[in-house]
Amino acid sequence: MKKVILQSAVATAISISMLTSATAQESSALDIGRLAIAGYGDVTYIEQSNMKDEEGNDVQNNVVARFVPIFLFQMSEKIHIEAELEFSTNAEGETETELEYANMHYFYNDNTIITAGKFLLPFGQFGANLHPSWINKAASNPGIYGGHGGNGALGGVTGIWNDTGINIANTWNLGDAGRVFTDFYTVSGPRQEEGDHGGGVEIESKKGDNNDSMAFGGRIAYAFLPEWEIGMSYYSGAYSDDGDLDYNAYNIDFNWVGSYASVRGEIFGSTAETEGEEEGEEEGHGEEWVKDFDKRGWYIQGTWQARQLGKAWLNPVEFVVRYSDIESDFDGSVDHDFEEDGGKTGSRVYYGVNYWLEPSAVLKLGAESTSIDNEAASHTTVPDDRIFLQLAFGF
Amino acid sequence: MKLIKIMFTFLALTLNTFSIQAQHVSDPELVAEGAKAYSENCARCHNARPAEEYSKKEWSVVIPHMRAKAHMTGKEALAVEAFLASTLTADVRNARDYENRTTTRSGAELVTQFGCQGCHQLKGEGGKLGPSLDNVVINRGETFILNKLMDPKFNNAASAMPKYPMSEEDIKAIIDFLRN
Repeated sequence: MKKVILQSAVATAISISMLTSATAQESSALDIGRLAIAGYGDVTYIEQSNMKDEEGNDVQNNVVARFVPIFLFQMSEKIHIEAELEFSTNAEGETETELEYANMHYFYNDNTIITAGKFLLPFGQFGANLHPSWINKAASNPGIYGGHGGNGALGGVTGIWNDTGINIANTWNLGDAGRVFTDFYTVSGPRQEEGDHGGGVEIESKKGDNNDSMAFGGRIAYAFLPEWEIGMSYYSGAYSDDGDLDYNAYNIDFNWVGSYASVRGEIFGSTAETEGEEEGEEEGHGEEWVKDFDKRGWYIQGTWQARQLGKAWLNPVEFVVRYSDIESDFDGSVDHDFEEDGGKTGSRVYYGVNYWLEPSAVLKLGAESTSIDNEAASHTTVPDDRIFLQLAFGF
Repeated sequence: MKLIKIMFTFLALTLNTFSIQAQHVSDPELVAEGAKAYSENCARCHNARPAEEYSKKEWSVVIPHMRAKAHMTGKEALAVEAFLASTLTADVRNARDYENRTTTRSGAELVTQFGCQGCHQLKGEGGKLGPSLDNVVINRGETFILNKLMDPKFNNAASAMPKYPMSEEDIKAIIDFLRN
């Protein structure tokens, strides 16, 4: 009996599946494609007094360019493949290449998407969705983020995270405008940077894992469309080679979008267990210690479109202001190998004006000023007031 | 028994997929839903992009990518695709559709068909991505509306408003509707 029911169920499922395909072909007025190339790019001129390159030489100005194509491939209605490559020139004019992500989406049902491969972690909004230069309204990244645009003397306290693993995303409709978004993932996880004791935490996808522990994380967000979205993210994983030191982080993000203005921001915090050893008396070993090393930061960014004034010549003009603040436990009193910039605390303010050439092409002029509160925590201090001129485009 | 439960779950999910496809993509109601989803989701992160930036085939590949980015449901993604397709002709310049020169569609029908209220409010209903259409003819003038419908970027290069494949009769009908 069971066998009959099972066979009937399988037959029915197959029949319905075939019917689904047939109906899709019959009813669709769309032209179904297989491959598309999208992406973004930018060219940025940066002027900064007393700017140094990595070898300490004076640099008067800097022009960098990026080209970031996204290759999209639709294998079927259920399976979609995507990969993003970043080609860029560094300060020395060399070409750098980076695989931002490469993954497969499986559209399990109307509400659930399973993603496998290398993907941007849904940790906050900036890293997952807002960092592309034509989407990021400013010419630089918020002060809490390192990399991807550079952060000068004020090192970031986090980064745009990608890693390899699997993510399950869900969308729940709550009425006409309410949505709950959830993401839960497991990935290879953080790893220990080079260093004997308490090496810094590196969250970057690499071949293989440095320990046998996977990292877990997720984001739960509530959106009241089209204006509001508030999300909370969490990430946890062991980062040391022996797997006994943990790294935990949280992020609270919000996004408000009005007809002419927007406000977005994030609050970030992380704790990394670090281990070390007190200095011993003459050739002896001191007492070993394990301490929590905390980093915290936040940013808020506001934009306003001058088209609200009703003057045609102001329609493409947009103003941007952003404030970032970071702090950490490190005050230079503990001798460990955490990255040099990781211990700095300070704030950064950005003012900018954008001129939109197209909905996805923008010319940005921005000025950024940084105040570092604990200069003693770093070996070198570089004045970090910068002016940007950036052309950013999405395609 | 456990296997049977799994199979029935699979069956339910398959039926769910079936229901998504059951609605014809040229259904005006689906197009209107797509305009609303387009307005509500794209601008959460970036400027909404005009339909003519990609071909219909390209949109069919881009939309699944954006579905994952924006956490859209499958139904919303299909509706957005239907909306974008409804605004595109086979002409890469998306020229106006003169085949419909003798249109009998009313302004109200056209406003619904093109999903205008996905982005614009009218009599208290609709999106806020674009300005309200209440009294727009009085406030901006008939010539402005005519120019805007013929070339949405004529006054703002960054406008995300699609260039609709509509005839001059369509435009006149819409202006008459908005005037009242």
